[in-house]
Amino acid sequence: MAMLSFERKYRVRGGTLIGGDLFDFWVGPFYVGFFGVTTLFFALAGTLLLVWGAAIGEGLNGQSWNLWQISIAPPDLSYGLGLAPLTEGGLWQVVTVCATGAFLSWMLRQVEISRKLGMGLHVPFAYGVAVSAYLTLVVVRPMLLGAWGHGFPYGILSHLDWVSNVGYQYLHFHYNPAHMIAITFFFTCCLALAMHGSLILSVTNPKKGEPVKTSEHENAFFRDTLGYSIGAIGIHRLGLWLALLAVIFSDLCILISGPFWTKGWPEWWSWWLNLPIWS
Amino acid sequence: MSMHRFRPGALVALVAAVSLAGCELPPQESTQNGFRGVGMQQVYSPERLAGTAADHQVPDPLAPSSTTDSSRAGDQYQNLQVLGHLSNGEFVRTMAAMTEWVAPKTGPEAGCVYCHNPANMASDEKYTYKVAKQMLKMTHAVNSEWTGHVAQTGVTCYTCHRGNQVPEGTWFYTDENQSLRHYLDREDVRVQTDAALRSESNNLASVNQTEYTYGLMISMSSALGVNCTYCHNSRAFADWEQSPAQRLTALRGTRMVRDLNINHMLVLQDVWPEAKHAKGHLTGEGTLKPWHVDANISRGPLGDGAKLQCSTCHQGVYKPLYGQPMAKDYPGMYPAPQAAEVPMATEGDSMPTQVSLNP
Repeated sequence: MAMLSFERKYRVRGGTLIGGDLFDFWVGPFYVGFFGVTTLFFALAGTLLLVWGAAIGEGLNGQSWNLWQISIAPPDLSYGLGLAPLTEGGLWQVVTVCATGAFLSWMLRQVEISRKLGMGLHVPFAYGVAVSAYLTLVVVRPMLLGAWGHGFPYGILSHLDWVSNVGYQYLHFHYNPAHMIAITFFFTCCLALAMHGSLILSVTNPKKGEPVKTSEHENAFFRDTLGYSIGAIGIHRLGLWLALLAVIFSDLCILISGPFWTKGWPEWWSWWLNLPIWS
Repeated sequence: MSMHRFRPGALVALVAAVSLAGCELPPQESTQNGFRGVGMQQVYSPERLAGTAADHQVPDPLAPSSTTDSSRAGDQYQNLQVLGHLSNGEFVRTMAAMTEWVAPKTGPEAGCVYCHNPANMASDEKYTYKVAKQMLKMTHAVNSEWTGHVAQTGVTCYTCHRGNQVPEGTWFYTDENQSLRHYLDREDVRVQTDAALRSESNNLASVNQTEYTYGLMISMSSALGVNCTYCHNSRAFADWEQSPAQRLTALRGTRMVRDLNINHMLVLQDVWPEAKHAKGHLTGEGTLKPWHVDANISRGPLGDGAKLQCSTCHQGVYKPLYGQPMAKDYPGMYPAPQAAEVPMATEGDSMPTQVSLNP
């Protein structure tokens, strides 16, 4: 397969975390590595198990090949943190192991590539935060609540049912303080991206006959309109942290729902009404 | 310089301490009432439950009366309209138990004299005597006609009174609790429509009705200490096929409360004394000031008598007194046996005809 002119520079040996030179090669444009192999193994095994689960009709809806209805559900709460029979939640447990293995393998493969490129670990770190959302939902929170049955089912509609019901368990999830902060980060992230994207599109698409503008123009625009420009590198740091904090506070908001608060979230705000200032 | 150094550690510790103070720490207890994985669960804090456990303990039953006593209280005592079927011993025992349950505290209005004129125990001159008689009829009705809701556990005076002369958790008309009229003279909750779009012809739901429904549901939720998913699968709130069985029990409960309010509480309207009127809570314009139900008040701001709702019995838990059986120790809580054996096809047959899965 053809290689881009600059690509050869990055196809260097070494930087592996495990396995030494064994898997240190490329297949076409793809780096393999030990974690590429484990990613492939876990992803394939997990996916095939999901297909098998759909074939035998594991889950609430019975056998169906309707993509919306297929659901692989976690065990009953009565199994606690133990293993469940394969068709009564055990399959979900195995798939969870496969998914966790695949996600973490992919993150470690990113680490190896980063090391080869001699760059920082920003990419695997950011990806790891996304993985933390999954792990919080199906591993950490269920462990804190004492049963795998608190994880969400693997199904397009069924996991939405889970979201709806778990939301209503806390009566009104928008009163969850960490949820509030997470939403604020999500929206602010969108705002920052919109402002940054429109700025870049503007400077790179000048009027006919005018040259493409530089970062001085970018800074001048935002200094004129907002009084402040965070700068070319700054906007990317800001964007990354807005995105990461949105997910980190999302982790927090579901982690505290149940393990650290069992009533409705509106009720949690009683501390505000009970402040000695006015109560 | 170092005096003014910012200490992030101290700030983090402060925020953590404040946050944890508003928390319940794991482990929690959870129960499941639907198919696995779709979040049909209740999560409880054992600490919180332990804190209120003493409020939901059944008092030890009084020593049983003689089983060989074949007397009939109705033959010996006068004016026994409700408990005449008991033996003399059991009748006296029931009176003692009711005193414990309803008027146990010391003071001029406690003990037997709360209801009785000590000079003539058969006299119904005290309003509390008339109320107590009606309440016994109500208890008999609950335990014999509404087993679809209370099952074989049944209720006693203590289920609501808990040692209070006026039970906590009754309600009166106010501007704020319009939703509770569901427990009196409003029809069943009907907010959701089957149609994709709202139309005037097939959906009479309004913002007001939706607000009432929401208020009603929240009153049930806090009365039982449960969340929405105890009775509903939130993917389709209105669909009975997808709802846990508890929803049917709850529907029977609301119909029971409506029956009791109409046939046992409203009939006491003229019995409640004016002296216990919460008139003071009405402003000059005739609107109601915010106020809370006072245990010494038996008439609301508009002069209406006390009415029941879920929390009157449940008092914060999913089954009153956590479902511990209590009525079984007191035959006086049930109507005379021969009356209960009348075929249910008459007026007692309120359950099967009123409740269907798809009303």
